Amino acid sequence: MAEAIQKKLQAELEKYQQVQKDVSKSMSARQKLEAQLTENNIVKEELHLLDSQNTVYKLIGPVLVKQDLDEAKATVGKRLEYINGEIQRYETLLKDMERKSEQHREVLASLQQEYQRAQGIPVAKA
Amino acid sequence: MAGNMNANYDLPQGVERLKEEHRKVVKDCKGQITHWKKVEKDYESLQERLVTLPDKLSYDIMVPFGPLAFMPGKLVHTNELTVLLGDNWFAKCSAKQAETLVEHRKKHVKNKLDDLHKVMKNFQSRAGFTEDLEKMTNDNGDFVDIKEKVEEEEAGTKGKHRVAHKPKSKPKEEYVVQLEEEREEEEEEAEGEDGESSKRVLSEEELWARLDELERMEDEQDERDRMDSTDTNGEDTSSSSSEEEKEAEAGREAQVNGQSQCENQASVSHIVQVNGIAKPQHDEEAKEDDDEEEEGSSLPTIYFCHTVEPKKVRINTGKNTTLKFSDRKEQKQQGKRKKKNGKTNSHSIQEHHKITSPSDIYRVFVDVLNGELVPRKSILKSRSRENSVCSDTSESSTADFEERRTFFGRAQSHDDATHSDASDGITEEDSPSISLYPNGRFEAFSGTVVEKDPLPSSIPHLTIAPPALPTIPERKQEEVSSEVPQEPIKRVSKFKAARLQQK
Repeated sequence: MAEAIQKKLQAELEKYQQVQKDVSKSMSARQKLEAQLTENNIVKEELHLLDSQNTVYKLIGPVLVKQDLDEAKATVGKRLEYINGEIQRYETLLKDMERKSEQHREVLASLQQEYQRAQGIPVAKA
Repeated sequence: MAGNMNANYDLPQGVERLKEEHRKVVKDCKGQITHWKKVEKDYESLQERLVTLPDKLSYDIMVPFGPLAFMPGKLVHTNELTVLLGDNWFAKCSAKQAETLVEHRKKHVKNKLDDLHKVMKNFQSRAGFTEDLEKMTNDNGDFVDIKEKVEEEEAGTKGKHRVAHKPKSKPKEEYVVQLEEEREEEEEEAEGEDGESSKRVLSEEELWARLDELERMEDEQDERDRMDSTDTNGEDTSSSSSEEEKEAEAGREAQVNGQSQCENQASVSHIVQVNGIAKPQHDEEAKEDDDEEEEGSSLPTIYFCHTVEPKKVRINTGKNTTLKFSDRKEQKQQGKRKKKNGKTNSHSIQEHHKITSPSDIYRVFVDVLNGELVPRKSILKSRSRENSVCSDTSESSTADFEERRTFFGRAQSHDDATHSDASDGITEEDSPSISLYPNGRFEAFSGTVVEKDPLPSSIPHLTIAPPALPTIPERKQEEVSSEVPQEPIKRVSKFKAARLQQK
């Protein structure tokens, strides 16, 4: 009895740990996205500070590719949208995962209690 | 306790970890702040350079050549800069634009620094709070112990609550006792205006002594009864203070006898009614085992009972009923007189006492009827006199008395044994109406009288004194002028003596 519960417990624990890993991953990804968002925001603002005379380059690999200012602004804007979308996606993902982790935690707690009970009963019997 | 202790240990650990986290965050914030400050400085220096850069067309500089070497070079195009905007975006711009860009970035840096400062402050406060919390928890460690105690106390309080109920019940008992005592005191005060209220509870020895005295008194009374009623009256009046006391006791005995008679005649429940005030006490005594508290209530009940009594009385002495009616009429007249006269006379108090007990009323009536000096026996005798057989009545009364005494003696012994207080109350009640013992003999009559005079009877309890006042003085004065003055003194002396004896 206790062993079965222990197995269950361990399986659940592994699942929970997996969920926790996912959570931490998505959290770090989200933080990166956040950083990119701020960076792109700054780029966007600074691009707005430039006028049409300035030439804009995009570093692609080792090469600076000349870009049109408006084009650069548009791409930066799109990039921002994408980042925002990503952030929202991660937001929902995180909520889901937190919910899952919560469920796992509850299951774990119940399993733990069962396990302790299962352990305690034989002890009591012994 | 173990769980609490664990909780105590866990809590510090949690606090420790929380503090660590807070410290970490604060440290990170500090590091970031320093970093951003450095960035800010760099930007400031950059801004300076940008401002001064376009001043010259070219600069002779040492160009870094790899990580270890520099090589001399020349900086040209001083107003032509390529700025990394971020995210691999570059922009070619003039020094002036670069300066604006730097300014813009400095804003960001400043914002960042402000945010960091805020975060740091926040976490510092949090760290402080956690420290306080830790202190509190540590201090609370003791408090927690106290809390545990409190929990125990709560568990205890449950018990205490139950205990509290008990206390309530106990207090009730105490209160009951107190109330009883108070009531007794009140009764004594009310009943014994003479002032016997001081000692209600008599020791067994005192009780026995009283019983002995009462027995003596009974014997004396028997002798007196054997003698003519007039003689007895004279004896009573002329008797010394000790005799008066004896008489008073005898009166008490007589009342007791009356009670016993009532018991004999009617059911025990009716006894109280028949006896009047004195009876209620006996009833109370009898009921003391059941409820001592009822004593207070018993008085009113007694009054009510009086109305019922007459039937018994009538049943007891069918011949006397007609006489009783006449007595009642007389009593009513007397009561009216008393009411009219008011409380002016000192005798009134005595009369009040007399009036208080139905037996007293009977005495009064008897006196009036007789017009002679046959006050006490007169009640019974008055009936008998009306019947025109005084001696017979007296004899019958004496026989009745003896029987009653036997009953009475039993009742009294029980009463005394059970409650010294009750006996005191009885004595007190009796004492006010010393002449009652004849009445006591004819308690059945007294009961009838009560019925006839519901108003006076009810009045006497509330304001017993006023109605009785006029009747007593008149009768007493007419019958025995010497008796009236003597009686109050005697009574007082008797009570005092009784108190002293009791003491």
